[in-house]
Amino acid sequence: MTRTKTIVRAGALVSAILMLAVGQRALDAHAHAKTLTAPRFEVDPLWPKPLPNHWVLGNVIGVGVDDRDHVFIVHRNDTFDSTTEIGAVAKPKLSECCVPAPPVLEFDPAGNLVASWGGPVAGAPYVWPSSNHGISIDNKGNVWIGGNGAGIASIGQGPDSHILKFTHDGHFLMQIGIPGQPTASNDTTHFGRVAKISFDIPANEAFVADGYGNHRVAVIDMTTGRIKRLWGAYGHVPSDSNLGPYNPDAPVAQQFRTPVHCAEPTPDGLVYVCDRPNDRIQVFRKNGTFVKEKIIKPQTKGDGSVWDIAFSKDPAQKYIFLADGKNEKIYVMDRQSLEILTSFGDGGRQPGMWFAVHSIATDSKGNIFTAETYEGKRIQKFVYKGLGTVSDSQGVVWPKR
Amino acid sequence: MNRWRKLLIGATPLVVMAGSAGAQGSPKTAKAPAQTAATGQSTQTPKLEVDPLWPKPMTNRWILGSVTGLNVDARDHVFVLNIPDYFTARTEIGSSTTPPTGECCSAAPAVLEYDPQGALVGHWGGPGAGYEWPTTPSGIGVDPQGNIWIGGSGGSDTRLLEFTRDGKFVMTVGKAGAPVAAAAPAAGGAPDTAYAGVSRAGGGRAAGGRGAGRGGRGRGGAPALPANSSSMDSFGGPTAMSFDAAAGEVFVADGARNRRVAVVDMKTGAIKRFWGAYGNKPDDAKPPAYSAGGTPSQQFGTPVACAQLSKDGMVYVCDRSNDRIQVFKKDGSFVKEKVIAPETLGDGSVWDVAFSRDPQQKYLYVADGMNMKIWVLDRASLDVITSFGDGGRQPGQFYAPHSVATDSKGNVLTGETYEGKRVQKFDFKGLGAVTTMNGGVLWPRAAGSKP
Repeated sequence: MTRTKTIVRAGALVSAILMLAVGQRALDAHAHAKTLTAPRFEVDPLWPKPLPNHWVLGNVIGVGVDDRDHVFIVHRNDTFDSTTEIGAVAKPKLSECCVPAPPVLEFDPAGNLVASWGGPVAGAPYVWPSSNHGISIDNKGNVWIGGNGAGIASIGQGPDSHILKFTHDGHFLMQIGIPGQPTASNDTTHFGRVAKISFDIPANEAFVADGYGNHRVAVIDMTTGRIKRLWGAYGHVPSDSNLGPYNPDAPVAQQFRTPVHCAEPTPDGLVYVCDRPNDRIQVFRKNGTFVKEKIIKPQTKGDGSVWDIAFSKDPAQKYIFLADGKNEKIYVMDRQSLEILTSFGDGGRQPGMWFAVHSIATDSKGNIFTAETYEGKRIQKFVYKGLGTVSDSQGVVWPKR
Repeated sequence: MNRWRKLLIGATPLVVMAGSAGAQGSPKTAKAPAQTAATGQSTQTPKLEVDPLWPKPMTNRWILGSVTGLNVDARDHVFVLNIPDYFTARTEIGSSTTPPTGECCSAAPAVLEYDPQGALVGHWGGPGAGYEWPTTPSGIGVDPQGNIWIGGSGGSDTRLLEFTRDGKFVMTVGKAGAPVAAAAPAAGGAPDTAYAGVSRAGGGRAAGGRGAGRGGRGRGGAPALPANSSSMDSFGGPTAMSFDAAAGEVFVADGARNRRVAVVDMKTGAIKRFWGAYGNKPDDAKPPAYSAGGTPSQQFGTPVACAQLSKDGMVYVCDRSNDRIQVFKKDGSFVKEKVIAPETLGDGSVWDVAFSRDPQQKYLYVADGMNMKIWVLDRASLDVITSFGDGGRQPGQFYAPHSVATDSKGNVLTGETYEGKRVQKFDFKGLGAVTTMNGGVLWPRAAGSKP
């Protein structure tokens, strides 16, 4: 129904022009597919620029954009094959390449690396997470980082149960939550392996996808870090009982499965939560009242289909872009109806393809940035090309030759 | 004009240089030899640019595994050998597990054929009637008739297989090895360097795979057979091959366990002759570990990773773990050698070679999967002229470039093993002056801009 409306809204002339731009290849490949009007994207295969110092990325497990359209990523810089991938830092040194890049990297809009920082610092007044995870930049340009690690036994560091806040250039500001604590979804003194943090600036609140241990959304005061409220799936009191593996044929789970992977507030007062292994988005009011849910690719097992979401940059945030790191696609959804309009991408190591697309963000121009974990180990940019006619399953969105 | 080229227009040449070369070059290596000592002439090198959109996406949600062979036929079709069963089952191939866990992805067949535009036009490979598919396929060669030869680096791989280009079985070369009892310790001829052309089964992770879901990769595998570098009827993990059409001979890099070049009659498959480093009789005793500045080994290390025949009758052998190319006449007499990046340990620096396509084959490309670059050598002098590439997952970067080949237009093709899992094409843009020893990432430039 929404699809029909949007098609009708686009004028016939506009449609005709855009049809020409779609390209014969796409038409041939999807002769059977439906077409509709939706935001169009093309991957920029040469973004970002090559890193200096033979630096390479590990699992990229967070991407955020600040109000200057600088792109911040956080990656696990200890996820390398020690003998074949980072020979330059082996002892003894094996080769000239490669070197793990620092965990936090900042790129300008042109893709130049402009800053790099992060990682454990001896004597620091904070605990760097055993597995940094998720990166978000608030309205003051400060950077918030979670952690999904189980701790580091060799140095006596317990599980990641806290959030770190830094200036944009890496000066420590605040540690929120007691580090090293076990899973406890109803605790208000710490978190349980936080996946991602997002902000409701007018309310001065941060929404925490909490997480890999906990089964909840936690809302904190951005200034004090105090946990103000929390909730589980359907707005229930969260429970940490083991749900076992997801089964598409079983009754829907009444709790989030871990990881709770995103919690994204919108200006119209809603919060979109990624219940990743349960293959669903749940929508709440900001007070935790359940509104509705949307199941995505319910046959998806293992890591699940709902990894991260970003909103389009129009004032109404008409579209949701949903990263599915299991089926290797981005779904373009109508935010009001939660209907999937189209999708793009595919599995692979070339531009516009993914291995485990984990995180997604948009900049002020509507461009999409994706981060890949596992052996994807990339950040990619998809350039917004305006609304246009697309098939409902676009495949790899390459620039025209 | 390509869109990304449009983006680059307007960037100053300085910025373009910084993005491609300057950012990579350490002060030590950034200076280029302005002139060759011998001639006093300005040194020229092939200019190359990566094509970020080659090859085209595959159908069926196929993905490439570790690429362990790549070659080009007379029609400039690119044949790629990849290892379809070295994937992380839980996260990478969800549509081909039992039961499926997602809609993506599935392993592509072992042999893939791309046309010059990058369209997948053929695919085959894997076990079949009449032959035994290698446990770890490695090396793909195109013979003068356009037939495809495949080696294998697995512990029990002792043979070459020949197929038509569309995958019909033609011939097996080499006998099966005698079975080795599962509990038997590795024999004296066991490789000193495990063949590192493929992902190791679960080993070697700095981080122990935390949070990364790497379960299910690889397989146990049969115990490795002993080396048999003097065998006249089987190989020891043959990893690459090249062809002498006039003489009807195949030069086999043998191999993952053996320490020799073996020359095979192309028609009968008979092993005609073989030799070791410096033309010595090969010796399977494990030599001391390689060290920079140490006494050069009188034997090849393992793997012997290439044996590439030039038009003027020289055989270029990749002695990978010894960081050297050794050059022989076709009868096995030693001519000369060149050590590349001698500080390189681990997998070594000399993984594969390819020749430029000018009549003289003036340039030699050397794939270095440990330093993540391609070296460009003057073939006659074996002097290093320049290099390109760097570590990474973006276009023009590499993780373990295992194989290199050229097409008739002089384009360079690379295949990456381990988690690189890519094929890349570098378009030949003519010759130009060498400006750096370290060309960095060769991204396309704005048309008309100065290189």
